[in-house]
Amino acid sequence: MSEASLYFIQQLVNGLTIGSTYALIAIGYTMVYGIIGMINFAHGEIYMIGAYTALIAITGLATLGVSWLPLILIVALVCAVIVSSAMGWAVERAAYRPVRGRHRLIPLISAIGMSIFLQNYVHLAQGSRNIGFPLMIQGGFDFGGDDTFRGSISYMQMTIFVTTLICMTALSLFISRSRIGRACRAVSQDLGMANLLGIDTNRIIAATFVIGAALAAVAGLLLGMYYGSIDPLFGFIAGLKAFTAAVLGGIGSIPGAMLGGLILGVSESMTSGYISGAYKDVVSFGLLILILLFKPTGLLGKPEVEKI
Amino acid sequence: MIANNLKHALFCAVITLVISYPILGFNLVARGVDITLTGADATTLVMVALAALIVFGFQLFRDRIVGTITDITRPGFGTHKEPMEENRRARIESWVLTGILVLALFWPFFVSRGSVDLATLVLIYIMLALGLNVVVGLAGLLDLGYVAFYAVGAYTFALLSEYLGVSFWMALPIGALLAALFGLLLGFPVLRLRGDYLAIVTLGFGEIIRILLNNMTNLTGGPNGIGGIPEPTLFGMEFGRRVKEEGNTSFHETFGIAYSSEHKVIFLYLIALVLAVITALVIRRLMRMPVGRAWEALREDEIAAKSLGLSRTAVKLSAFTIGAFFAGFAGTVFASKQGFISPESFVFLESAIILAIVVLGGMGSQMGVILAAIAVTILPELAREFSEYRMLIFGAAMVLMMVWRPQGLMPMRRIHIELKKQE
Amino acid sequence: MRTPVKKLVTAIGTSIAVMGAGQAAAEIEIGIAGPMTGPVAQYGDMQFSGARMAIEQINADGGVMGEKLVGVEYDDVCDPKQAVTVANNMVNDGVRFVVGHLCSSSTQPASDIYEDEGILMVTPASTSPAITERGYELVFRTIGLDSMQGPVAGNYLASLNPERVAVIHDKQQYGEGIATAVRDTLKDKGVEIAMFEGITAGSKDFSSLVSKLKQADVDYVYYGGYHPELGLILRQARQAELDAIFMGPEGVGNKDINTIAGEAAEGLLVTLPPAFDQKEANQELVEAFEAKGEDPSGPFVLTSYTAVQLIAEGIEKAESTDPFEVAEALRNGTFETPIGTVEYNEAGDMKSFEFVVYEWHSDGSKTPVN
Repeated sequence: MSEASLYFIQQLVNGLTIGSTYALIAIGYTMVYGIIGMINFAHGEIYMIGAYTALIAITGLATLGVSWLPLILIVALVCAVIVSSAMGWAVERAAYRPVRGRHRLIPLISAIGMSIFLQNYVHLAQGSRNIGFPLMIQGGFDFGGDDTFRGSISYMQMTIFVTTLICMTALSLFISRSRIGRACRAVSQDLGMANLLGIDTNRIIAATFVIGAALAAVAGLLLGMYYGSIDPLFGFIAGLKAFTAAVLGGIGSIPGAMLGGLILGVSESMTSGYISGAYKDVVSFGLLILILLFKPTGLLGKPEVEKI
Repeated sequence: MIANNLKHALFCAVITLVISYPILGFNLVARGVDITLTGADATTLVMVALAALIVFGFQLFRDRIVGTITDITRPGFGTHKEPMEENRRARIESWVLTGILVLALFWPFFVSRGSVDLATLVLIYIMLALGLNVVVGLAGLLDLGYVAFYAVGAYTFALLSEYLGVSFWMALPIGALLAALFGLLLGFPVLRLRGDYLAIVTLGFGEIIRILLNNMTNLTGGPNGIGGIPEPTLFGMEFGRRVKEEGNTSFHETFGIAYSSEHKVIFLYLIALVLAVITALVIRRLMRMPVGRAWEALREDEIAAKSLGLSRTAVKLSAFTIGAFFAGFAGTVFASKQGFISPESFVFLESAIILAIVVLGGMGSQMGVILAAIAVTILPELAREFSEYRMLIFGAAMVLMMVWRPQGLMPMRRIHIELKKQE
Repeated sequence: MRTPVKKLVTAIGTSIAVMGAGQAAAEIEIGIAGPMTGPVAQYGDMQFSGARMAIEQINADGGVMGEKLVGVEYDDVCDPKQAVTVANNMVNDGVRFVVGHLCSSSTQPASDIYEDEGILMVTPASTSPAITERGYELVFRTIGLDSMQGPVAGNYLASLNPERVAVIHDKQQYGEGIATAVRDTLKDKGVEIAMFEGITAGSKDFSSLVSKLKQADVDYVYYGGYHPELGLILRQARQAELDAIFMGPEGVGNKDINTIAGEAAEGLLVTLPPAFDQKEANQELVEAFEAKGEDPSGPFVLTSYTAVQLIAEGIEKAESTDPFEVAEALRNGTFETPIGTVEYNEAGDMKSFEFVVYEWHSDGSKTPVN
């Protein structure tokens, strides 16, 4: 293969890695939107809190002298998922449930307030500096010729791929097979009707927040390890990107979130790779605006009928 | 019932512990080159435990507490007070407003320079908040990139003065009109979008403008910003110690008074005051005109408004453009006050603060927004020890306001005409 | 510490200045402006600690021309808006000498006001060349310029005979300024610049950038910016097996980069001002700081100390507290300070400010090269 195409493949791999984590975060937006039609602005912060919890757990285990990698990863994952899910539940309970059903702007402003609050909560508790994540999964394998450009796929990148795939498959099965999943679909079709049929809609809505938050925590741990540092503000921008991904794929659709995440990740890495890293955010926001203008329902979304 | 409550209360208390203990109870600290974990001090732990207890107690007696609160608030609200006669109220209000205005006009001559400067900043925020109030409060369009229009106004003045030597008075209308044009151009395509999409698109737009300002180094100086922006002149008289521009005279020489650094600051304050008053009056007028009614109609019920023959795009666009216009106004004054601007003054946080002002003051209410702008700008100055907590408090206040009092501290009063009772 | 009530009184606007001019006859006020709160408060602490120490020591030695120095501290949060408010407050309080501000974007708008109002300013931390480019009479600094640091790094890189060099920056005032200077120096020396581009500050994913560097086949990478981004770039470059040597300015030279980059920080080249606290002549001063429980090794502690000292010596030399005369004295004099011998040029920059190239190690220590 020529050097140019090897380079292209490398950038594609980079983009797909980032894209799959965007997809994991995007699920949280898409499920909540699908069910109660609001943007959970604080979702990016929940992801950030997941990353912080994971790092706290990892550092704590290291202090205790635990060095067996799988144990560390599992404990960190479990801690992050528990704290993030609890956070997701609490946020829904405190900031969204009381304002549900009011004018559209009100839950949205409440969500923005929550996002600012959580950012500063972690900022005040943990300081504003960037904190390094220990390097845990190292190495990878190379591809391409010996003479010029050698691409490489790290084990970390593969871990991210595989974990994302597992999570997505599990989620799809859960939504299509389980009782709660069926109830979720029913609620997203028609909340009032589902209520009449005896589904505890409050519980289902809380469940979607918890599921979204748990996936965000997984993404938090993975991305923390992959990038190498976290700070209280990084959830916000990642959340925006993930939301873009959700809209791109068609908000409310779970395969759409996956597709949107991948497209966004690839277009970002191509911008950095072929134009300049300084314009990467311009491209992703520009893409969002274009999609919304020409296909507001996204790539896989269903057209929405205005209800009276 | 109690057993049920107890279970729920316990669950809530545990959740409180789970979300607060790991983050507050452990601190990641860099020791040399290693990250270590230290336990928080006893006060923090006590606070965490206390928070869990409070949540437990509240949830356990939730019904009773909520019941008591509603009992307290329900009577006494509007029942004891006879509503004041509309005319009398309007008369009192206009007297009070005139009084405040006169006070605002003469106040700067008796106070310190720093206070006047802070007051100018407050007035800039008032202009911004009044402008955003049209978009968010009246028309119900959530604009999270409002700061972009503010930046357009500021940069228009900075660039015009840098390259063409245009003065403040020329740049003021140009900056405002250009910001309005940006509003129009952005608004045209995006206003078809539903509320929440609109919020995200405007947020993206705000970021794009900032990144472009930062990246177009040749034109805007990029991150270095633009300096040496002139101050406003009074009929060609400059307020500096030395005259900078050819052909201008200086204020203190013309009037034969001693140079005082206060003149300049007070003059800028007065300009900002006049512009803020103009902003308030224009918007007040617009609110009573058909277009203002149309904004509110559309906010309340889009479909009903459409079926009454209102053009959705035209109405929204007018709100968006007018909001942008006043942001441009404020931007020009800001550039002139600072003398130096760079993209870091136009970040998303600024949009969030302006939005917080509108929300806290009461969406749609002009008096409320003005009071909130004053409070939000001055309180952190007064309580510097708490300035770290400023954004935390803003965030919490936004949520609490939406939950308990979405109409704001000083809700908008509907303008209405009552039919006189037949004698 | 002023009480909130007192602040309320000032803010609401009694015309009685808190630090009124009436009592100024017996003492000389020095305004110290920098961030006490906000994201860069840690750097502000260095500045305040250095200035306080200088004021203390000068007063213990009998003050300046028989008068005591009084430090008046102001918080600008490194926000240009608040810096202007602070500057106006200083005018109001009758301060005529200022040590500050810290961030260049705050120093620049504030210095407009100082120059207009006849206040002498010495910044111990702002490195942007734009600050002293405007021909102001009353603006000085006790730190080098970005445009001085760049050539040092560029010359050093050129001396290594690199084949291809990439120059990256974070699109911020500081980073882009230095990176541009490095690029220009390298170009003059005939070194091939493979890449010159910006990244997004605050971003975390640099995998695309690293692949790009790999494809460009560079042997040296210069990064203009701060440690959070470079730390990540180093780490991600190590993961992707990019074997180039990195170099950065003093903004990357602190131990935080090790917590992010880990092993990958080994061999990083950094230009830093010489460690003033290691100097033989400063040991007494270092002990004084340590006796107070403060750390004198921060980059702005001794520059801030020097700023106060220069103002004091300038006043003595001019035998006047008129800022214009003091400025004149500073321009014409030679001063022995903890940061070395200081001489000023017309613009208000030091005629020489040394930068040294260090090699950084993964345990956070550094060794001077050559």
